[in-house]
Amino acid sequence: MRFLPLFQIARRHLLHSPFRTALSITGVAIGDCFMVLMSALMAGFEAKFVDETVESSPHVTVLDEFRDPPDEFADWLSEKEQGVVTVESAHPRERVYRIKKPYETLAAIESRPGVAAAALNVVGTSILNFGNREVGAALVGIDPDRQDRVVSTDTYMIEGRLADLHSASGAIVLGSGLAERLGVRRGDTIGASLRGSGEVGGREGTTRALRVVGVFKTGLVPVDAVRAYTLVSLAQQLLGLGRDVNRIVVRLDDHTQAQDVAADLEAMVGYRSESWQEQNKNFLSLFNIQTVITYVVTSGITIVAAFGILNVLIMLVLEKLPEIAMLKSMGYTAADVTVVFLLEGLAIGALGVVFGSIGGYWLQQALATFPIPMKGLIEIEHLIFVDPLRIYAVAATVSFASTVIAACLPALRAGRLDPVVTLRGRA
Amino acid sequence: MIAPAMETRALRRTLGSGENELEILHGLDVVIRPGEFCSIMGPSGSGKSTLMYLLGALDRPSSGQVLIDGIDTRSLSEAALADVRGRKIGFVFQFHYLMPEFSAAENVGLPMRKLGVPAKEARERAYELLGLLGLAGKEGRLPGRLSGGEQQRVAIARSLANRPLVVLGDEPTGNLDTKNGELVFALFERLVRQQGQTIVVVTHDPRLAARTDRVVRLQDGNVVDDGPAREVLARAGERS
Repeated sequence: MRFLPLFQIARRHLLHSPFRTALSITGVAIGDCFMVLMSALMAGFEAKFVDETVESSPHVTVLDEFRDPPDEFADWLSEKEQGVVTVESAHPRERVYRIKKPYETLAAIESRPGVAAAALNVVGTSILNFGNREVGAALVGIDPDRQDRVVSTDTYMIEGRLADLHSASGAIVLGSGLAERLGVRRGDTIGASLRGSGEVGGREGTTRALRVVGVFKTGLVPVDAVRAYTLVSLAQQLLGLGRDVNRIVVRLDDHTQAQDVAADLEAMVGYRSESWQEQNKNFLSLFNIQTVITYVVTSGITIVAAFGILNVLIMLVLEKLPEIAMLKSMGYTAADVTVVFLLEGLAIGALGVVFGSIGGYWLQQALATFPIPMKGLIEIEHLIFVDPLRIYAVAATVSFASTVIAACLPALRAGRLDPVVTLRGRA
Repeated sequence: MIAPAMETRALRRTLGSGENELEILHGLDVVIRPGEFCSIMGPSGSGKSTLMYLLGALDRPSSGQVLIDGIDTRSLSEAALADVRGRKIGFVFQFHYLMPEFSAAENVGLPMRKLGVPAKEARERAYELLGLLGLAGKEGRLPGRLSGGEQQRVAIARSLANRPLVVLGDEPTGNLDTKNGELVFALFERLVRQQGQTIVVVTHDPRLAARTDRVVRLQDGNVVDDGPAREVLARAGERS
C-alpha cells in the first residue's frame, strides 16, 4: 500500500517521456541481445566441436606409453658403486612402443562397466603422394567393423564405405581435406611412405601403392585434413609391429564420464589413457578463452548502456527537482524519493532484458537461416547457435544488475536533495 | 487556554560556518493559534521564507525550538519529521509545483496516498476539494491544460488534502496576476472563516496582508512588530 503511489509516480515519469524511456530500454536491450547472441554463437561452435569430436573420435584412447616413464639414467646410476661417472653423448634408447598382449588388454577394457565398445588401432605417420603432390597423414590401422562401433566413421563417409577397406589388399580411406590436398578421388591409387620408429627404422622409406576406396568428412578440419584409415593388418605389416598394436580406442555409454573412465583404465592397464577432453584440451581451453572474451566485450556494451541510463536518470532528477521538493513537503521521505527513481531504473532494466532476450532469440533464428559457409577449426554451412536458458539468465543478470547499479546513483542523489535548497533557488 | 498550533522558542537559524556563517533568524518567539489567518511580512532577506521552512519542518533550526501541535521537532528523525509534514502541514508555494504527469485530482490525491488513504477515497476527497475551489469538471485535466490561477487553486486543494493543522503559503500569489491573487486570498479567507483552517502566509503585498487577522513583521531576522493586521500595517505606514 505504502509503495503504490511510488509505483504510480515512477510509472508516470516513464510514460510521460516515451521517447526517452524507449531510448533507455533500447540501450539495455541491445546490450542484453548481443550478450545472448554472442554467447549462443560461442556455445554453438563449442557444442558443434564437442559433438563432432565425441562422434568422430574415441572417447578414451589407450596409448602405447606411460604417463610417468621411468628415468632410465637415474636407475642405471643408482646401481653403480660410489665413484665418478662420466657420461658422454647420452640419448634415449631406440625402441618400439607397443601395447603388449593387446587382445587380453582389449577384453579387460571391454569388461569395464560404462565401456560401450573398444577396438585395436595401429597408428603411424606417413607421407602420401599422388603424382608430384606429397601430404603428411596420420594413418590409422583399423578393423572396420569394430572401429565403427567405437567411432561412427561410416556416417561421415561421403564416398564409399568403411567396409570397402576389405575390398582390396591395399585399400585406404582418406579424410576429405587430405583427399582434396592430394587431388584424389575414390578409385585413385596413391603411394604411402610408411615410417615406423626404432627397430623398424630399416623399413623407413618403404612405399606401398594404396587404392583410395572411400572419403570421409567429419566437419572437424584438423581430423579431415590428416586422418586416413587402412586395415590393421596392413598397418602392422608396414610398421613392422608383428601382431602388436599401439592404440586401443574406446567408446563409452556416456562421453561426459570420459575423464573418470580414462583414469580408471590407466590404473587398470598401466598405459597412458587419454580422454577426448585431454586430447582436445587446447581447443577446449580456446573455447573457454573465447567465452571469457565474449562476456568481456558484450559486458562492455551493457556498461555503455548503463551509462546511458545513468545519464537519462540524472537528467530526469535535475528536471524533477521542484517536484522532488514538493513530494518531500507533502511528507514523502528521502527513501520514498529514492525508491521512485530506483523503480524507474528497475523498470527500464526489466523491460530492456525482456526485449533484449526476445531480440537475441529472434536474431539467432534469423542468422541461422543465412548460408554462411566457414572453414576453420570446424566446417559449417551456416552459423550455429545453442541457447540454453543459462545464457539468457547470465545476460539478463549482467544487464539488469548494471542497470540497477546505474540507477542507484541518481536515485540516491534524488533522495538526498534538500527541498529547502531547491525552493530557495526557485523563489 | 487553547494550545498553539505552532510555536517557535528562541529560534535561530544560521547558514554557512566559520567566517562565512550568517545568522538569518536571531532567536524568534512566534506563536500561531488554531484558526488564525496570519501573514508574515518583511523586506527581502528578512528571513520570512526561512521562518516558513522551519515552521513547516522542512528545515531544522540551528538552535531554539519549533513545536508543531505541541511536538518538538528537534528530536524527530527525518522520517518522523516527514510524517509530521504529511499529517500536520499543507504547503502552497509561489510556484504550484504540480506533477505534470498527473491530473489535477491525482495531484491532490498524492499527499493522501502517502498516508495510506485508499485510491477511491483519495479520489473522492480530491473531487470534493477541487469542487470547493471552483474546479469542478476539471479534475481530470493535466496541469499543463489549466490556467495559472487554476493551477494554484489545485495546489491549494493539494495542501488541504490531509486536513492539515496549518496551511503555510510562501508568496502563494507571487506568481499570479492581481485578479487571481485576489481569488486565492478570498479562498484562504473562506477556509479560515468557514472551516476554521489555520493559515500562515508570507506576502509582500500589504493589501493582501490587510485581509489577514494578524501580521508578523520581520526585519533582519527579528520580529519588529506583531499584532492585528490593521494596526501593524498602520504602524508600518507611519514609519515609511
